Amino acid sequence: MKKITLLLGTVLIALLVAAAASAQDFAEIEAILARIDARTRFDTDFSAVMTMVVEDPEQGTSKMVVRQFRRDDGDHFLLLIQEPITQKGQGYLLEGDNLWFYDPSSRKFAHTSLKETFQDSDARNADFAQWSYSTSYAVEGYGEGTLGSHAVYIIDLAAVDDTVPFPYVKMWVTQQGDLVLKVEEYSLNRRLMRSSLFPKYAKVGSAVIPVQLVFIDELVEGKRTQVALSEISTSEIPDYVFTKAYIERVNR
Amino acid sequence: MMLTTMRVAFRNISRQKKRSFLLVGAIAFGMLVITLLNALTGGVVENLRVNFSHALGGHVFIIGREFTSSGQVILKIAPDERLDQLLVEHDSVIESLTKRSRTLPTLIFGSKQTMQLMYGVDFLAEDKLLDSLVVTDGSLEHVLEYHDAIILPKPSGERLGVQPGETILVKLETLTGQQNVGEFRVAAFIEDQEQFGISAAYAHRTYLNSLLNLEADEYQVLNMFLTDLAVLEDLARDFRLGLRSPDELEEEFAEVEEEEMGLTVTVGNVPITPTPEPEEIRPWDGTRYEVMHINQIMEPVEQMVGVLNKVALVIFLILLVVTMVGITNTFRMIMIERTREIGTMRAFGMQKGQVRSIFLWEAAFLGILGSLAGVVLGGVIALILGSITFNADPSLQFFLNHGQITFTFAPASIVFNLCLVVFTSLLAAYRPATAAARLSPLEALSSHT
Repeated sequence: MKKITLLLGTVLIALLVAAAASAQDFAEIEAILARIDARTRFDTDFSAVMTMVVEDPEQGTSKMVVRQFRRDDGDHFLLLIQEPITQKGQGYLLEGDNLWFYDPSSRKFAHTSLKETFQDSDARNADFAQWSYSTSYAVEGYGEGTLGSHAVYIIDLAAVDDTVPFPYVKMWVTQQGDLVLKVEEYSLNRRLMRSSLFPKYAKVGSAVIPVQLVFIDELVEGKRTQVALSEISTSEIPDYVFTKAYIERVNR
Repeated sequence: MMLTTMRVAFRNISRQKKRSFLLVGAIAFGMLVITLLNALTGGVVENLRVNFSHALGGHVFIIGREFTSSGQVILKIAPDERLDQLLVEHDSVIESLTKRSRTLPTLIFGSKQTMQLMYGVDFLAEDKLLDSLVVTDGSLEHVLEYHDAIILPKPSGERLGVQPGETILVKLETLTGQQNVGEFRVAAFIEDQEQFGISAAYAHRTYLNSLLNLEADEYQVLNMFLTDLAVLEDLARDFRLGLRSPDELEEEFAEVEEEEMGLTVTVGNVPITPTPEPEEIRPWDGTRYEVMHINQIMEPVEQMVGVLNKVALVIFLILLVVTMVGITNTFRMIMIERTREIGTMRAFGMQKGQVRSIFLWEAAFLGILGSLAGVVLGGVIALILGSITFNADPSLQFFLNHGQITFTFAPASIVFNLCLVVFTSLLAAYRPATAAARLSPLEALSSHT
């Protein structure tokens, strides 16, 4: 009887130790996620020109130039399409929780969501806002590995609620510097839907952001979108830029 | 005596065939226009009602909304005793009902993709659906066996380049907007079921539900076809009242109270109301239902048709006024032409009133004949136009019945128009008739006309 009690006690202690160790490990990974989120947050205003090349096996290759204005304090961004000429003037304005799409042909604003895809590309509107992995996802597990020449953590995440488009995410983060190199996003039934690659980063003010992004549609063969950032600036942006009136004005 | 008067009036009309023909023709034209327009608008409303019901899949539509813990409003109906009870109570007037889930997913095959409305259907409960589908390729034999079977409209299949038996991916959003993907086996291609440009793919509800993050016995829309449209609004009201939850009633009551207590500032007797605050959705428990019926959808159409009918009536009245002027002038001429004849009749003892009656009966006969001719002509034209099948644009098909124009004649409206014509004819002939009646027999007999 004593032996059984001893055995059970040992197993229990082992389980508690393992759980504590695991919690400790997850805490470390959670800290990494928090650092990643913090580093993509700008203390200053941010603007850039995004050149997007969308490769679609049916539609062919198309190029889009978008001017991005971003102010993380208050969750604001404005995306103004400059090319192609047929879509010039279309804009996305984020005001806190509300994202508006403006179409100059109808001169109307329509409510849209960060979950939606950006135009016909493979990027989502949320990709142009501040990242929030640490608050939107919980760590399910992690491992260590290499991606190219980089030693990385491979982290499995599960959404904490249903407010994010992808319920499951796997990400590759460098062990040195906490740079996200690759993200795989999965459907509710855990089917790979999109892969995102971030091969190039730049330090902008206090933030470190990817300046080259590749989004691969894992469901449609051959569909992918490449995004490159240029003309990056942290100069102060006037308040009126983040208003509906401004989008209307630039379209006059 | 009246019969004699009528006989004389009828003889007078037939004596001047050409003139009578022209007057009857003018009245008939007006009557033809109004009859055809009324019948056409009536037919359009009927066709729209039938076609909308067909396209929307019922006469009564019930949707359920739930407020999720993450603050989203989702469309969902879970098994509910109140709803089941109401369905049992109204079973005698419900011809058929469908409980479906629906989504607008992206269908993917290789590098090709297309968007397609898709219904999750309980094929066993909707046993007539499979029989009603026109298969162009593949077979519906194994639909019940394969849980992941999908029936695709032919154009979507062609766009994807897929063949029956092959598997496609269906990318969709769950009710709360999360991404999900399912594999579906293409069972068959069908002709676009709707002739109105609305096409749908069909799959098993249980499988689609699993992708939408719904339970197997849940659904999103309950549609009902009724045996008798006369009970439509009563049935919808019964369901609306029967499915209303106590907190909805409380909220309604509170809203009324708020409205009553609200202070109204007036400037120059004009009430100034403050700009309403953006409506905030208050969370609720359970399911809130919305019951709609085809008449609500048809209301704006019927209003538009009502305006069209009024316009037609105005045109008709204008035509009648023109015809009245013609009738008045004609009867004045008739009076002059028949002065001696009137004198003779008066000399033989005919009273003033009888002379007036002859004229008025002539006008009434002209009105009745013209109206009847207009109605008959309208009927013939409607018959000819109604037998032509138009290969119109899908959106125009909503106004047609299997490609044909429908004319619905409303007897009450025809009788009203006929009475209007006769009345205006009498009105037009009254003054000449009175003038003829007032003629002195002596003067009339000495007249040279």
